[in-house]
Amino acid sequence: MDAVRAFMRHPSGMAGLLMLIAVLIVAISAPFVFPESPWEMIGAPFTPPGEDGMWLGGDTLGRDVAAGIAHGARVSLMIGIASALAAVVIGVLVGAVSGYFGGKTDMVLMRLTELFQTVPAFILAILLVAIFNPSLTTIILTIGAVSWPQVARLTRAEFLRLRSREFVEASLCQGESTARIVLGHILPNAMSPILVVGSLTVATAILLESALSFMGLGDPNLMSWGFMIGAGRTVIRTAWWVSVFPGVAILITVLAINLFGEGLSDTLNPRVSRRRA
Amino acid sequence: MKGAAAFGLAAATLLVRLVAVILLIATFNFILVRAAPGDPAQVMAGQSGASDPKILADLRQEYGLDKPYIVQLGTHLARVMTFDLGYSYRQRQPVLTLIGERLPATLLLTLTAFVLALVVGTTLGAAAGLAAGSVVDTIFTVLSLLLYATPVFWLGLMLVLVFSVTLGWLPPFGYETINVQMTPFQKVLDIGRHMIMPVISLAAIYLAIYARLMRSSIIEVSHQDFIKTARAKGLAGPQIVVGHMLRNALVPVVTVAGMQAGALVGGAVVIETVFAWPGLGRLTFDAVLQRDYPVLLGIFLILSVVVIFLNLATDLVYRLIDPRMTTGAA
Amino acid sequence: MNRREFTMAMLAGTAAIPLGITRAVGQTKGGTLNTIIQPEPPILVTALNQQQPTLTLGGKIYESLLKYGPDLKPMPGMAQSWDISADGLTYTFKLFPNITFHDGKPMTADDVIFSCMKLLMETHPRARGNFARVESATAPDPLTVVFKLKQPFAPFLGCFDCTSAPIVPKHIYENTDYRKNPMNDKAIGTGPFKLKEWVRGSHVHLVRHDGYYLKDQPHLDEIIYRVIPDAASRALALENGTVQMVQWSDIEFFDVERFKKQANLEYTTKGYEYFAPHQWFELNNRVAPMNDKRFRQAVMHLIDRDAFNKRVYFGNAKVATGPISSKTRFYDGNVKRYDYSVDKAKALLDEMGLKPGANGKRAEIKYLVPPYGEVYQRAGEFLRQSFARVNIDLVLVGTDMAGWAEKVGNWDYEITQNLLYQLGDPALGVARTYISSNIKKGILFSNTQGYSNPEVDRLFEEAAVATDDAKRQELYTKVQQILVEEVPVAWTLELEYPIFYDKALKNVVTTAIGTHETFGVVTKS
Repeated sequence: MDAVRAFMRHPSGMAGLLMLIAVLIVAISAPFVFPESPWEMIGAPFTPPGEDGMWLGGDTLGRDVAAGIAHGARVSLMIGIASALAAVVIGVLVGAVSGYFGGKTDMVLMRLTELFQTVPAFILAILLVAIFNPSLTTIILTIGAVSWPQVARLTRAEFLRLRSREFVEASLCQGESTARIVLGHILPNAMSPILVVGSLTVATAILLESALSFMGLGDPNLMSWGFMIGAGRTVIRTAWWVSVFPGVAILITVLAINLFGEGLSDTLNPRVSRRRA
Repeated sequence: MKGAAAFGLAAATLLVRLVAVILLIATFNFILVRAAPGDPAQVMAGQSGASDPKILADLRQEYGLDKPYIVQLGTHLARVMTFDLGYSYRQRQPVLTLIGERLPATLLLTLTAFVLALVVGTTLGAAAGLAAGSVVDTIFTVLSLLLYATPVFWLGLMLVLVFSVTLGWLPPFGYETINVQMTPFQKVLDIGRHMIMPVISLAAIYLAIYARLMRSSIIEVSHQDFIKTARAKGLAGPQIVVGHMLRNALVPVVTVAGMQAGALVGGAVVIETVFAWPGLGRLTFDAVLQRDYPVLLGIFLILSVVVIFLNLATDLVYRLIDPRMTTGAA
Repeated sequence: MNRREFTMAMLAGTAAIPLGITRAVGQTKGGTLNTIIQPEPPILVTALNQQQPTLTLGGKIYESLLKYGPDLKPMPGMAQSWDISADGLTYTFKLFPNITFHDGKPMTADDVIFSCMKLLMETHPRARGNFARVESATAPDPLTVVFKLKQPFAPFLGCFDCTSAPIVPKHIYENTDYRKNPMNDKAIGTGPFKLKEWVRGSHVHLVRHDGYYLKDQPHLDEIIYRVIPDAASRALALENGTVQMVQWSDIEFFDVERFKKQANLEYTTKGYEYFAPHQWFELNNRVAPMNDKRFRQAVMHLIDRDAFNKRVYFGNAKVATGPISSKTRFYDGNVKRYDYSVDKAKALLDEMGLKPGANGKRAEIKYLVPPYGEVYQRAGEFLRQSFARVNIDLVLVGTDMAGWAEKVGNWDYEITQNLLYQLGDPALGVARTYISSNIKKGILFSNTQGYSNPEVDRLFEEAAVATDDAKRQELYTKVQQILVEEVPVAWTLELEYPIFYDKALKNVVTTAIGTHETFGVVTKS
């Protein structure tokens, strides 16, 4: 496909993709390279990196930081993708209805979207997770619930744009149902920007999840990168590696996704200027 | 519209917006309390008060929890408009008092970071944009990409690691040095020293965003026809051209800054936890630990208001850049 | 005043206090002690709340009749002398004259009787157990208190330190709802320090009580308890001298070695003899599978207590063998030993029918993490790993101080971790956890796990009223053997908490309760 070839000529996009693949490999291979649970205390507390078979050192309880990062990759990616999916589903729904029907519906939904964009998303996330108790489900739903406005705005803009196109007019004349028009005609054409914003949402989701875990609001039974940084905070004087490496992992992953997403955006929508909002 | 009339209209619009948002969020809080697991009285009492049946009974009566929802909502909204944000049974104080005590520290941090990110970000971005394609520009792009991908709390910790633990230049935690005699001027310097790392950690990510945006904005504007024409004709001096470019380039940056205000405020909460900064962030963390829901709901409301004021600030900057912009055109 | 004003006042205050003024030879008058209270107590009235921070702070405000030396022998508190009748039934205490409460009113025998026999009976579970043995309490004169017991109770003299029987003003509390009394915020006691101000989230400011009955005490002018919720900040505060004294878990265990090397600090593990903190994983005996003795025994085999000590507590503890600490009277180590053996644990679980199910798991159990600090979280993680080795999923559940107290008190938990004080004598600190009569809903530090064995009840009761030490030892040995066989709770460690204090301070640890003491004798040079 043209798009794929165009993407392969995009240097930073390709760099992002390669980094992303590396992260995925780490995540997939985790149970083979580190068969024991990352919660197992295999060494002495505060083992410096390189000693005792722990390449990235040991944490406060003597757990392998490298194992934590590898297994944490699965957690972060899974939560990131699931939350982004949730955000996309909600956002597309709101944006599509708003953009397609226009008028009062549009106004109300846009006000709602604006409201969600005004409130500090992270605080809302904290509030929701605290009230509904931290667990994998609540975290995914919460992150989805605070990340959808951007998707909604974009979807709405696309729907407004596409709705007045000829083929839609034609379909309307032919008496096709709303659902068919939306799902069959408009949505497929709006997929590119939605895909882009969706992949960028994975990045923000990963950052949000790590911040929640850092504050102690993550699922306490999941070893995630944010949790590791939080646990390492009080021992930063004695064991800097417990906080440093998980953060680097987040940085690489988020950077990879951002580069990939931007590359996607450039190849799929060359006319849309790169506004970071 | 000129002068007083414009100002009056702006003020009125702000007020309406403020009240509308407060009412909407208060309604949202109302719904949340009733959607939460457990009965509303338990949620409002927080885990601390919920163990006392007398407190629960009192709450039920006071908040009329047996009355129809619409009546409850009305009373709730009325309370919020009279600045009654509920009571914390854990801390034994009204929520508004608790928040009021901690708000100044948070505002200090947030506003400084906001201004820093905007001013330094746009300056660096403009410089990079004007020097587009050079080595400096490339370094700039790489750095801003890295910063944008960095978790804000981790950045804070890394700064502590480098500047406090390793180099010993800056104090790692807190707001001020205690038990040392200081003149007021020294005190200001002391707080300033404590502020350096938290502010930089918080501002860095947004600085990167605004810088990158400014850069691409400058590049876009500099290609615009009338600029080229003016230059070619030698009609406008360099300052006027650059000034004009900057003003136009700033517009999208300021828009984005306004939209990012919510994220900045959220970041402040995390940073305060990292640096034990005595603001709302710390209060949030404790309230989460204690499941002190009235406090959490109150913080959510107040910080939303802060965001609106930040949006107002960016609106004003708009006006400064381009007095031709009419109200509400954002 | 708010936080900022307070700091300003502190700066002014420090400048104004003249240093180095001596009273008698070697005695220094004046000075401010800065220390830490962690976590912040919910209330300061020790009669109403006996969680550790309340007791640490409240010990300066509320006194009792006696104090206990490091060897647990009684010394004068507010009672200058005491007498026990030959039949061991009548205890007569003679109080010091001129004891006043912080509001200026005099403290008399009536206040003692009101506190012990009325108020504490309602609000202080430990005191209730002790004073329930009293048949009558009378005051033949304002400075004399006579307790007549129903039966002899050898440890009765061990019930009168400021953490066990704090004396409160009758004129403030009589005929009121004790917990809702508005004077609770003022915390009026007889101790050498009185409450000046409590800025929640920041500090508690105590100042000298000028009417203190011992004329040369207190030496210090004031004590400031700073609230520093962040562990790293606390360590920093001790390191740079912002605070001069820490205790219990103010400093994380992994930092102990580091602070031992700090030149200006004194380190000791003394000052906890009365408490001898004893730790265990509490298994709710009412909930399956904890209701089966074999499961509980399996848990004992599952936990590598040595590793637990080394990894989580960094060696600051001694492995416990049973319900009584080796530091408490009548300890007997001659009990069943549970060596660390995953195989033995699995065998027991298989035997009781708890086999791995379709998903490979034998069970899923919820673990309530006590919110007293990160070390408790790590202990929970350690236990989770231990259980994972026998295919049991331990799900960690978090809560806050009030929430934990409520859940555990109301038996709404499956497994949690608990830490109790031994109080010098098994009749005072140990029996309460294992006797059926102390199964009381809503009360913390009672028999919350719900263990009941009539033989154990009988042995504890007999040992309490026996007057001969040899006989008591015999009974306590038997009860230890039974309990270790039945494992009502999974004992782990005898913790050895540190106390660090600046070398400029003297007389910090003079009794068996260390930093919980009234601090009337502490000086700062």
